[in-house]
This record gives sequence, structure tokens and C-alpha cells, in this order.
Amino acid sequence: MTELLSHLGQGMGVVFFHSVYWLFGVIPLPLNVLYCLLGALVGTLVGVLPGIGTVATIAMLLPITFGLAPVGALIMLAGIYYGAQYGGSTTSVLVNIPGEATSVITCLDGHQMARQGRAGPALSIAAIGSFFAGCVSTVLVAALGAPLTSLALLFGPAEYFSLMVLGLIFAVVLAKGSVLKAVAMVLTGLLLSMVGSDLETGAGRMTFDIAELADGIGFANIAMGVFGFAEIIRNLELPAESRDIVQAKITGLMPTRKDLIDSAGAIVRGTALGSLLGILPGGGAVIASFAAYTFEKKISKDPSRFGRGAIEGVAAPESANNAAAQTSFIPLLTLGIPPNAVMALMVGAMTIHGIVPGPQVMTKQPELFWGMISSMWIGNLMLVVINLPLVGVWVSLLRVPYRLLYPSIIVFCCIGIYSINNSPTDVLISALFGLIGFWLVKHDFEPAPMLLGFVLGPLMEENLRRAMLIARGDASVFMTRPISAVLLQIAFALLLVAATPKIRERREVIFVE
Amino acid sequence: MSQGTTPSPTGTGFRLHTYNLIGGAIVVVLGLALLGYAFLVPNTTIPKLLAAAVALSGIVVAVGVLPVQSPRDFYGGLALVMLATLALIASAELPGQRGFAFGPGTAPRLFSFLLAALGATITVGGVFTEGPPIEKYKIRGPGLVIVGILAFAATIRGVSVTLFGIHLGLPQLGLVPATFLAFMIAILGSTEMRWIESLIAASAMTLFCVLLFVHLLGLPFQLWPNF
Repeated sequence: MTELLSHLGQGMGVVFFHSVYWLFGVIPLPLNVLYCLLGALVGTLVGVLPGIGTVATIAMLLPITFGLAPVGALIMLAGIYYGAQYGGSTTSVLVNIPGEATSVITCLDGHQMARQGRAGPALSIAAIGSFFAGCVSTVLVAALGAPLTSLALLFGPAEYFSLMVLGLIFAVVLAKGSVLKAVAMVLTGLLLSMVGSDLETGAGRMTFDIAELADGIGFANIAMGVFGFAEIIRNLELPAESRDIVQAKITGLMPTRKDLIDSAGAIVRGTALGSLLGILPGGGAVIASFAAYTFEKKISKDPSRFGRGAIEGVAAPESANNAAAQTSFIPLLTLGIPPNAVMALMVGAMTIHGIVPGPQVMTKQPELFWGMISSMWIGNLMLVVINLPLVGVWVSLLRVPYRLLYPSIIVFCCIGIYSINNSPTDVLISALFGLIGFWLVKHDFEPAPMLLGFVLGPLMEENLRRAMLIARGDASVFMTRPISAVLLQIAFALLLVAATPKIRERREVIFVE
Repeated sequence: MSQGTTPSPTGTGFRLHTYNLIGGAIVVVLGLALLGYAFLVPNTTIPKLLAAAVALSGIVVAVGVLPVQSPRDFYGGLALVMLATLALIASAELPGQRGFAFGPGTAPRLFSFLLAALGATITVGGVFTEGPPIEKYKIRGPGLVIVGILAFAATIRGVSVTLFGIHLGLPQLGLVPATFLAFMIAILGSTEMRWIESLIAASAMTLFCVLLFVHLLGLPFQLWPNF
């Protein structure tokens, strides 16, 4: 416990006292707090605006963070992720369009509450629930960080390889759509990651003698193409949605005593469920919010209230998505394995700053590790304080038409990619991946597993090669070493379970709902 | 890399037939192109067989011997098989396993084989299970967005290509014109575009990007063309 507190204290120190002296070197400017605030605000903005997802935004902002110190960059990117969980609920409640995939379910009861003139309490309960969840999961990340890291340090290459296989399989099983296609996407990502120089021999692989490919395909190019450009192209195809904003003035932000009592249990249960699902690879915030809503409805005394403005239907999913957004950092920070697409982008950001994600981050760069965790709590506090008074501002942003928004995003992305290497070829590669992403969606392929495969590719290959070398070319090493064998067996069992018809139907039902 | 950009289905019944004709024809062309490429590289027996199988399945579908029940899966799976074939050809000349150690070519080939197998499974599934048709591709919006991006890439630094003795080129315009141009081309993709509003928005966005990237982040961009 004292260890935990001292770690968090160290993190707070990093966040608050890494200052740059400003104005003739007199006034200290806590840069990391500013990055945290900036990330949280940008996150809220994206969360509020429908049609721009978190993944796309983080991909877009990657190039901008290259110039920052690693701690500041990661604090900012993390802020975008949990900030979006706060912002998404605003649009869901007021417009009945989910601002973010994670607040789809909040529309059901949140918008009904707004119709009944209770938009204020709905928004504030969502914020309070998110804040509670944020606090709990920050402590959870800090508490699980050290033990999991020491466990991971015992892993050899064979165990690491098996762990990554398990992580990828988990991500595939819990993602939506066909498991077979998702596995195929993972393999595509792995293959794409092998373009460029070989890690050990330096031989150029699958480069087709194109000089630009000798260093491999840039991570930012793929991410920006598949998530940024493809998403915009896709949105342009859809008919323009009518944004029917609740015009009534939001009066009385504060929830009543009864609201608080009603939602307290839901917030706690949502937080618990969200924290758990966030740690699992592939889970993340979307599934957490759905699961929390379904769970609340199931245990409610009067399930018919749900869908008609039940405050628990706002409190539970909003707490769950924020909890999950934060606990999904646990596998990334301790094991170095990104559980979802947003975390894959974080891996990209870390690698660009020369940090290899994994158990050694905590021991080698404690200020980064604990600084990032502590910043989450500060970010949550800022979000809850800033957001409620700013609801009016966010709503007015919703009036910016998409026809002006998307060209802005396009040029922003173009300049961002170009700025990484001053290379127009990078822009071309991103455009190509934009088309590929568009094509993938048309054929029901999810791009997220591809990105996970791409990010994990080099690590997986390295560990596979090392394990085989140590075992003198004997592939059975993965089954004879106990930890590795258990991990692979779980992965295999998961695939089998996901393939059984009954579970398959259930998965489809859950994702359609 | 994303081969087989299949055209849209335009309906059911008779017209679905022409659609499979076009889809199959694209598959045949791409399959034969892969086959031809495989003949330029030594040690590519398996990729040759794969490419031939792809081309053959394209013929079978195009003439209507095999009714495709789920075109999304069918063409999607075939594209993966083709991607795997391409990767196999591209990594054919890399040295493989030596003694206990993996060579640079081992892992790419291993994953390519797995991908080809999965792609084939998806394709076969697309023949026998029913699925939704492929959505229509809209040309205007996506097309103009891509053209806008290409315009940015071409003008930020300038390009010059010599094709058949004819010298083609675009001058280096710098950040301000390139951004403005890309914005205006991309916004044409919207059906609700209004000229005056767009011009104001394009200028504002250009100004914002110059302030952010050049002044705040201090990136060394050339702003205006060289005269």
C-alpha cells in the first residue's frame, strides 16, 4: 500500500513539477499538466463530434506529438482516449447520435431523459460516474502494474510468443464480425510488418526494390490511412444525418438526491465490469458499455423502465466505458501487448519515441510509467470540472456541418504525415491504405486486428526466432514449457468456443443490439 | 496491394450475373498478372499454382458455373489469397532456415501460407453460405478526397516525371497553396458544397495549419512557391 502511494506520488511529481520556466524564466509552467488538459479537451471534442473516432484522432495527432518529450506525448494521447469517453455521452444524450462508439448504448436512456427535460442530470451523472470509474481504475492500473510486470520479467521468448498469440486471439474473439476474417486480418498485419529490412540479417524483405519501402511501411501511414482517410471516405458515402439537437435550455445540471441514490449502485457495478473487460485484450470500452447496460437491465427490479429514461441506463455504461478505457492500459504498460486499436497506436507512439513497450518500461523509465498513470487521475478531475460548465460550448460545436469538417481533417492528416519524414511518398502510401481500408469495410473485414498484427509483428517474429534458436529448432518448445503451453491452450480453447454455433449466434446478437 | 476492387452489384437476378462476370474477370486478370510475375522469379512453384488457381476460380465464376452466394466473403477471401501469393513470390529469394536458425525468409513464408489457407477457407465459405451483396461504391466523394490527398502530395514538394520522352511536372508550391488546393478538391466531394463558405473555410484552415505546424511546432516547411 505504501509502495503504491509512493509510486503515485512519484507520478504526481512528474506531472506537476516537470516545468518549463516561462516569461523570462520566472513563472513555472507545468507542461505535463497542460498536455494532459489539452489531450482531455481534444478527446472531449472528438467524443462530442460524431463521425470522428478516437482511433482516427490519435492517429491524426501522432505526428504532432513527435516534437514533445515522451512523457508529455503519452500523457496527451492517453487524455484523448478517456476524454472521448466523457465527450461521447454529451452527443448521445442531447442529439441521440452516439458521438463515440462507446456511448451508443447511452442514447437509449440518456436521450429519453433529455426529452423529459432532464438532460442536466443525465449529463452530470454520466460525468460523475465516469469520474468515479476513472479514480478506481487509476488505482487499479497502479496496483496491478508492479506485480504483473515482475511476472512478465520471468517470461522467456517462448512464453512471450505464446502470450502474444493469446492476446491476438482474445482480441479477435471479442471483436465484432467473423472470427475467421479477423484472424486473416491479423495475419495480413503480420505480413505487412515484415516488409523492409530483416531484424537480424538486414536483408531487404518484400520491398520490390522500392527504396521507400526499405525501412518498412511506416506505422503512422497505415494508421492514418486505414482509420483516418478510410473513415472519412466511408462517412461521405452515408446519407447526411439530421442532427436534431435538443433545443431546450439545459436547466439544473445538478442531479437530485434520488438520482444519486438510484445511480450509486449502477456506477459501482459499471466500474467493476468495465475494469475487468478493459484488461482483457480485444475488450475495451465498447463491449464494456454494452455489457454494463445489459447487466443493469437484467438485475433491475423493473426492467421496463430501461429505454424510457432510467438513470441507471446512463450511469452504468458511462462508468464502464471510462473504466475500461483506462484499465486497457494495463496489458500495454506491463506486458507490452496492446489489447485494442487505440493501445496499438500508443505502442506506435512509444516506439517512435524510442521506448519499447513492455515490462522493462516500469523499471527503466519509472517517471514515464508512473507519470502517465497519475496523469489519468488528474485528467479525470479536470474533465469533470471543466466539462459540465462547457456543455453549451460543445453543443454549439455540433452545429459545424460535416461538409466543412472533413476537408479540414484531410488536410490536417496530409500535413501531419508529410511532416514526419518530409516525404510526399508517405502521403501517397497513406492514401493507398485509405483505399484499402475502404475496401476492407465493404467486404466486412475489421481493420483493427490488422493494426494489432502490424504492431505486434516485429516483436512476435523476434521472440519466435529466438525461442526456436534456443530450443535448437524444436517447435515443440511452445508446448513443453508449462506457462507457454497453458497460454496456447487457452488461446486454442477460446478459438474453439468462438467457433461453436451457439456462441457465434450470441456474439452476433450482442453486436447487433 | 488490395487487389480485386470488385464492382458493385446492381441488383438481383439477371444483373447479378453481369456483376459476377465483371468480378470474375478482374480476378482472372489479377491472377494471371501474379502468374506472370511468378515466372520472373525462380523457386516459385507453389505461388504459380496458387495464382493459377485464383485465375481459374475467376473464370469459373465469370462464366457462371459456380454461383457465388456471399460475394463479400468470396472476393475478400480471394484478395487475401492473392496478397499471400504476392508475398510468397516477393520472399521467394530470401534465404530460409539454416540449421536451427530462422532465415529472413522463414517467417514471411510461414505467415503467407497461413494467410493463403485462411483466405481460401473464406472464399470457399463465400461460395456455399449466403451473405449480403457488396455495397455500391460511390465514386464522387471518395474519389475527390483521394484526388485531394494526391494533389497535396504532388504539390508540396513538386514532382517531375519523364514518360516516353515527354517531361511532365508540377512545381513545388509550398505549404499554403498545397493545403488550400487539397482542401478545395476534397470539399468538392460533398454534395452540399457551397462556394463562398468553402473558400472562407479553406483560408481559415490554411491559416490554422500554418500557425500550428510552422509557428507553434516549428516545422521547417516552405510556405510559398519559388518564383
